[in-house]
Amino acid sequence: MMSMQTIFVISEEAAVLAELCCGAKAAAERVTAILFGGEADAAAAASCGADRLLFCQPSGGAVAEDYAAAIAEEVKKDASALVVVNNSIRGRCLAGKLGVLLDTAVLTSVNSLERSGEDLVCRRMVYGGMAQRSEVFAKPYGVVTVGAGVFEAAPGGTQAAVSPFEGAPQGGLKCVNRTEKKEGGVDLVAAKRIVDVGRGLAKEEDLELCRRLAGALGAEVGCSRPVAENNKWLPKSSYMGITGVQVKPELILALGVSGQVQHIGGINKSRVIVAVNKDKSAPIFKHADFGVVGDLYKVVPALIEKLS
Amino acid sequence: MKIIVCCKVVPNEEELQVLPSRELGFDGVPWKISQYDLNALESGKQLAAGGGSMTALSIGGTEALGSSKIQKDILSRGPDSLKLVLDDGKPFQDSLQTAKAIAGAVRAAGEYDLVLCGMGSSDLYFQEVGVQVGALLGLPAVNNVTGIKPAGEGVVEVERTLENEVEVLEVPLPAVLSVSSEINVPSVPAMRDIMKAGKKPVEKLDCPDCGEASLRTLEQMAPEQQERRQELVEGDGEEAVDALVRFLKKEGF
Repeated sequence: MMSMQTIFVISEEAAVLAELCCGAKAAAERVTAILFGGEADAAAAASCGADRLLFCQPSGGAVAEDYAAAIAEEVKKDASALVVVNNSIRGRCLAGKLGVLLDTAVLTSVNSLERSGEDLVCRRMVYGGMAQRSEVFAKPYGVVTVGAGVFEAAPGGTQAAVSPFEGAPQGGLKCVNRTEKKEGGVDLVAAKRIVDVGRGLAKEEDLELCRRLAGALGAEVGCSRPVAENNKWLPKSSYMGITGVQVKPELILALGVSGQVQHIGGINKSRVIVAVNKDKSAPIFKHADFGVVGDLYKVVPALIEKLS
Repeated sequence: MKIIVCCKVVPNEEELQVLPSRELGFDGVPWKISQYDLNALESGKQLAAGGGSMTALSIGGTEALGSSKIQKDILSRGPDSLKLVLDDGKPFQDSLQTAKAIAGAVRAAGEYDLVLCGMGSSDLYFQEVGVQVGALLGLPAVNNVTGIKPAGEGVVEVERTLENEVEVLEVPLPAVLSVSSEINVPSVPAMRDIMKAGKKPVEKLDCPDCGEASLRTLEQMAPEQQERRQELVEGDGEEAVDALVRFLKKEGF
């Protein structure tokens, strides 16, 4: 309906910006990038693949989402456009506000963006990973969020025209305290190997066993939703699934993971999936390249020994 | 404090069927309160216990919301009353239409201090409705809230957990907050809560104008199952572990 030949890409992270710009450039004629950062960050990110790059250094305690009104004004200079925002918590807040200002809905965690004639087709998982839905915007503007790892950055793109973003923040909330998280979130999206911990782990102390296996494999430790949300044994940033992190490592080693649809949706892009579970009928085995039907408490220590 | 908690009733995704056409089958699938909205209800209940009132608001079709069973389920989780917007014309298909319906219902509800939402619904999981409600009402809106504390007249102190940092924000009321699943562990209603739920008032509101749909759905299909080799060894002795090690070596790990 609306051809949306302009895409605006917005991110606080330069690395994600470059990925999103490459995905956008493949789907639209014009790409404008907005990077939250200073002039030096922008200069370093200039080959992100966009035609122009606007940098916005939030000042006076302002944060990205406070620029929604100013960004909407910029977007409206085009009669029709798609806005692609990095799928972070702040990014989703900004996206929601932009959606209202542009009178449109937001599609979050979009995993594919493709041009099909006049349409820009957005795909995302719904019903906890049970289905993939393909949608197009029926209005002049659309807003989506896309996470890291969906598109690949192509290095050495043409240099974007870099200039400061002219727009003031609005309606900022007073932030009285800001602290770094202590838990040191792991970057599962970038991990090549992941030990995936499920509900088959009996107690929190046994995570040490999983960590030792991860050490022997050079892997990171991730988990399924209940391990993070119900047991709170690992930070929420460690859980993989449709509503969590979506990963695509070389190897996933799933320990005591049953294989619920919503979890599989987060790991099924992995090259190789190995599962250890004592329940032979666990759905995970249908999604595994290699499965061991056995007690993880026997298999894992023996495996660690053989790997070290 | 006057609190409105938004909660959605969704088909239980664990009981959906994948049809041979790879479309989803909804036949006989039971309805449930969306998982993350249980956290919003729990937050509302805890805040109201400190002095205040709590109303639940739900929007959807008659099939989802019409039964007294689901209404009682919502009412057994803390609210004093339930407001419903029932419309079978499916005018709430995307995050903006849903937000417009909620914003309209909230305006009609009169005075309020706080609108609480869950982080996203179990079915479509837009994670945007709360923020869009706030923007439509011209109110402060914060997502991924992990703590809410009253902080004097007309102000709450809100903890918001981002990927790498935790913010503490002073939020003037009224405001719209989307709570994270980390904020609490929803309590299971006690028998007396269930008994009391049947006596609480349920009010049906007119459906507000939700505008045109922003999206057109082309297709909804179960993802194609990724081809996996499904090699299996049984047992946890040396043989099984050796087979696993051989497999890992062969794959280059």
